[in-house]
Amino acid sequence: MGYRIGIDIGGTFTDFALMHNETLVLHKNLSTPEDRSLGVLQGIERLAELEGLSLRDMLSRVDAITHGTTVADNTLIEMNGAITGLLTTEGFRDELELRRGYKEDIWDVRLGPPTAIVPRRRRLGVPERVLFDGTVHSPLDEDAARRAIARLAKQGVESVAICTLFSFTNPAHELRLAQLVKEQMPDVYLSLSHQVLPKSPEFERVSTTAVNGYVGPRVSQYIDRLVERLTNAGYQKQLLLMQSNGGVMTRDYLRGSPVRVLASGPAGGVIGSAAFGQAKNACELLCVDMGGTSYDVSVIRGGQAPAQSGWNWHHRHLVAVPMVQVETLGAGGGSLCTAEHGTLHVGPESAGADPGPVCYGRGGTHPTVTDAILVLGLLSEEAEFAGGSFQLTREGVDEALRQHVAGPMGYSVEDAAFDCWRVVNANMTQAVRRLTAEKGSNPKDLTLLAYGGNGPVFAAIQAQELGIDRVLVPRTSPGFSATGALAAQPSIDEERSYIVPGMEADIDRLRQLWLELAEHAERHLVKAGFQRDAIHCRYQLNLRYPGQNWSLTVDAAETLGSGDLSFVTDTLPAQMIQRFHQLHEVQYGHARDGEAPEITGVRLLAATNIPRPTFSGGLTAEQKSAVPGRQRRANLGEGFQDVPIYYGPDLQPGHCIPGPAIIEEAFATIVVYPGWTTYLDDARDYELRRIPNRD
Amino acid sequence: MSYEVNRRLAARRPAMTTSTTVDPVTAHIVHGAFETICFEVATHLGRAASSAIINQSNERNASIIDAHGRLAGISVGIPQLLFISPLAVRWGLENQEADDWGPGDVFVGNDPDFGGGHLPDYTVYAPVFDDKGDLVLIQALQAHQGDTGGKDPGGFSVDSTDIFSEGMGIPVLKLLHRGTPRRDAIAMLVRNNRFPSFAGDIAAMISAVQAGAASLQALLDSYGVETIKAAVNHNIDQTAQRFRACVSDWPDGEYPAEVWIDQDTAGNPDIHVKVNCIVDGDQLTVDMSGSDSRPELVNVWNTFSNTRGYAMAQLASMVDPDINKNEGLFYAVDMVIPEGSILQPPDNKPAALGAFHPAVEVGEAICIALSCILPQRSVPQVYKLGMPNAVIGFDDNGEMWMDQGVDVRASDGSAAQGLDGWGAMCAGLGNLILATAEDAESRFPVLNHSREMTTDTGGAGRWRGQPGTCNVKQVLEPVSAMTWMVSRKHPLRGLNGGDDASPYSNHFLVGTAQEFEVENALNAQLPAGAITRYQYGGGAGFENPLRRDPVAVKEDVLDEYVSVQAAHDRYGVVLTGSVENFDIEIDSAKTQALRERRLRDNA
Repeated sequence: MGYRIGIDIGGTFTDFALMHNETLVLHKNLSTPEDRSLGVLQGIERLAELEGLSLRDMLSRVDAITHGTTVADNTLIEMNGAITGLLTTEGFRDELELRRGYKEDIWDVRLGPPTAIVPRRRRLGVPERVLFDGTVHSPLDEDAARRAIARLAKQGVESVAICTLFSFTNPAHELRLAQLVKEQMPDVYLSLSHQVLPKSPEFERVSTTAVNGYVGPRVSQYIDRLVERLTNAGYQKQLLLMQSNGGVMTRDYLRGSPVRVLASGPAGGVIGSAAFGQAKNACELLCVDMGGTSYDVSVIRGGQAPAQSGWNWHHRHLVAVPMVQVETLGAGGGSLCTAEHGTLHVGPESAGADPGPVCYGRGGTHPTVTDAILVLGLLSEEAEFAGGSFQLTREGVDEALRQHVAGPMGYSVEDAAFDCWRVVNANMTQAVRRLTAEKGSNPKDLTLLAYGGNGPVFAAIQAQELGIDRVLVPRTSPGFSATGALAAQPSIDEERSYIVPGMEADIDRLRQLWLELAEHAERHLVKAGFQRDAIHCRYQLNLRYPGQNWSLTVDAAETLGSGDLSFVTDTLPAQMIQRFHQLHEVQYGHARDGEAPEITGVRLLAATNIPRPTFSGGLTAEQKSAVPGRQRRANLGEGFQDVPIYYGPDLQPGHCIPGPAIIEEAFATIVVYPGWTTYLDDARDYELRRIPNRD
Repeated sequence: MSYEVNRRLAARRPAMTTSTTVDPVTAHIVHGAFETICFEVATHLGRAASSAIINQSNERNASIIDAHGRLAGISVGIPQLLFISPLAVRWGLENQEADDWGPGDVFVGNDPDFGGGHLPDYTVYAPVFDDKGDLVLIQALQAHQGDTGGKDPGGFSVDSTDIFSEGMGIPVLKLLHRGTPRRDAIAMLVRNNRFPSFAGDIAAMISAVQAGAASLQALLDSYGVETIKAAVNHNIDQTAQRFRACVSDWPDGEYPAEVWIDQDTAGNPDIHVKVNCIVDGDQLTVDMSGSDSRPELVNVWNTFSNTRGYAMAQLASMVDPDINKNEGLFYAVDMVIPEGSILQPPDNKPAALGAFHPAVEVGEAICIALSCILPQRSVPQVYKLGMPNAVIGFDDNGEMWMDQGVDVRASDGSAAQGLDGWGAMCAGLGNLILATAEDAESRFPVLNHSREMTTDTGGAGRWRGQPGTCNVKQVLEPVSAMTWMVSRKHPLRGLNGGDDASPYSNHFLVGTAQEFEVENALNAQLPAGAITRYQYGGGAGFENPLRRDPVAVKEDVLDEYVSVQAAHDRYGVVLTGSVENFDIEIDSAKTQALRERRLRDNA
């Protein structure tokens, strides 16, 4: 088997995971923001060196490169996307600005609007109207359309988004508008709403289409450049790109809707978590990734990381494509700690990498979480930090904590550090509960999986607050997102709207919609080189009680190969309704037997298997105790005491370490809180368990 | 007599009794946990409810109330309504022995004369007890129901004469006893509601507060009852202190304001709300004496509980947004709400429409009063429409349907110093998610023709109000339609020298010989094909438009928020070129001359 490479580009580091048969090699190098594809090539070159190969030799032996990119996110953060225009149904050009009334903070009248990605002068209406059933109520006024297009051309528009009402039931007007645009502006980048997001309602669709138009040219340009660099260097296979739904797909597929790579960075870690969890016999997972500036939380149920489409706000814009739900909180090692009005705040502001925490010794003067946990002894000045790149220093840390926290609160520096630890913990706990509330899950039923540089420092104590008794920490924790990219499967997840009372559903229409989705998915997957009969299809139906605004997704059938729709029979609606009642009971504590649910749409998840990193589990090695390297004074939530410190690389499968203890790995520190015991499993990953009934 | 009840319910309540003290950090963590539990409860209902007003408009508000009836925590929702739940729960608390409260109980109340907002606002609540059986906290959840079983569908009647014509009032009713549903009580509620989906809505409300009560119980177990009580006390005190600290920064003095509503639903004109905000050191008193009290007024009666809530929502928007929202706000402000006025009506007055007007005018008047000392935070947290155009019809099976008309629109997005009005509505309504055309047209026989912002309908100002939209809509089958128009004569007022917002207007049977403008309340039958055109008022301007940056005016003209004519007439900006050609330029010399002349004339 050839090599496979997973790549995750972060703000500071680009992470690489090289998979060859059963082995996994990790590497990190600095990101190259001016042209990120350069950093990618540098990293692959280093991996080749590690394997004793030239870059060309290496690339000729690589079967797949899977890649999570932040280029779309950065475009929205920096607001330097394409000059975008919008053509829409006359009378509806302001939807984008009105946002269905949504504002982010109901208490803050000083919050201003987001920067418009399509200002009003470039949002133009065209007379036309299609009705909910696809019939044409008014024909497209082509003369008016040409005038509108000329107005966009006059403004130097580089990208045109087209979104008309009910185009997902009848795209004729959008398609004709696209032709007219091409005639007048042949080089413009086009985004058609019925292709980007073929479903209702209009605000969600127009916003997603406009964002697609705005980020599309830059994303395409970046991908094209990367493919060119890789091809020139000798790579001959497909580049697979991480999507926000946690699957990977090809450049060809994403050309139609590059918006699907938004938020794909954290998605890799989530997908890796699902695979890792399965190996460890933990299919209900709470995944937490705590790095320098942010804390990402996600939930995996039944071994899956379900992607949710619809009300996804991303950088203040609504992007309704399916996204693996990741709650991001401004809580990381660099989060600033400040006392104000007798209250201690931690984050969301961050010291970033430069100057960074005070203890980095690079000129930081404001205390951070990293500084606080250094004072608590969870980190140490003696140990190497960040893989040995530098050592932490206590110099200035106490003074900073005194000035910003201990002084105003009127207590000691150690108390201040302890309170910073408590507050950041509480903030993270709240974020977890918000996410699980939205998903209707109870955190108690989950296993916590922690990764990222700082995740394992807090994992066990957080688990305890959430009522969780089992925590997993992968040995590869710091580079886990790149590993995750390797675990992602090529997949296409699309929906089509069809709103109808469940028992009145037109079976032929359902079959037709699923068939369209299946053919579309098959076309792209086969073109990408995957076997037709190896495509795994999960046919789903969205249902709700009449009047409900949120649908639940119910599985209809799973097939191998995409063409078999024999499950679509006259009895299907009744079965689906039965399953919907049951699912509603589970999610919301009641079912409404007296009500007839309605169908809101069909969905198809088409995926195919590729070789993935094999994680293994098991605790079969004979249990034995380990010998700590040294001791250090530290506060693990129960006051300062001498705590044994273990050196991670020395530990072997079967080693079991009771808390309180601290384990130091190259890029991560694992804190075993009192009441917890850590086991090294057969794969040398960490599993922390809480001794029952200890409170 | 309800005044006596109101006085008792609103009286300041003592702190929870505990000998434990708590550190500020633990108290802050408990506050966060409360917010999260409320968020969980509200989300649970939003996902499971069937009524658009709950699951789309998000008119659902969760709060946690302590054993003394004090507001201890809230979550996202609608600020005005978040402050209302405590009084309805306090009525229940007064009767806890008589009604045999215990663990697992769930109650509901909605009666305006017993602490409620208006009849559609059901507050469902579940008490939480400690090991000894003492009440500690109450999980409450308030949500607007689609119907209340009154004479007209939907709970709003433009001609109601008393509360009984609006529907069924419930001071307090036990829905679950020790965890077991009271089938008889629930069946009675369901029977008194026109919408079959109500059964699901009430089931969702019950399961949501049960989940919240379970979370609170877990919190008590994990922190200990005394710590939680001490944390509640601490957080409430801290909020009061921080609010007072803000007030102490304001200049002492009396800041009066008066606002008018065009008319009541019977045509009685110029309803007025009067406030005097008195700042004395760290003490703020909001005196509403002198507000209208004409006994003949119809429908413009705002319940006592609403008046307190709407006043506080406006005040909370004018201080540091980081101050925790809890009972401490009410500790810090004295309110004088005249008995018998439209802000504290006599018993049995209709209450549904009063929650629109004069309710929002309470906030508007406070905003105007304080705008001279708090220019950066003076944004009225209001909805100045009388009522949306609600249409009701029957499907082929004879089932009633109702399109409440809470469609995507822009209205009342006012400016403040340094910030133009933006978005669809004020910040406080930012959780009210508006209905889409594609969803509505898939459910109801209606057709949305257009809803763009209308040029020049935002009040001009150094900071500009957001324009209002013109929503043109057609019904495809015969329906009965209901609406109420205000803000035609008295639109949202410009502040500190800014222009007023444009007035509202609403036309029925558009494009036919019978076309007419709705001047007041209306309950009409519309034939299939009838078109309505609703021009929403824009936001008000802030400070003199002659001081607006001419470049901003030029950009506004290019975006058609402002016309070339208005740029000249209102902003004193002389432009050359045309919007059509995108070659608009500012004639600086002429602009300067024009502005100087206008400023001289104004002086």
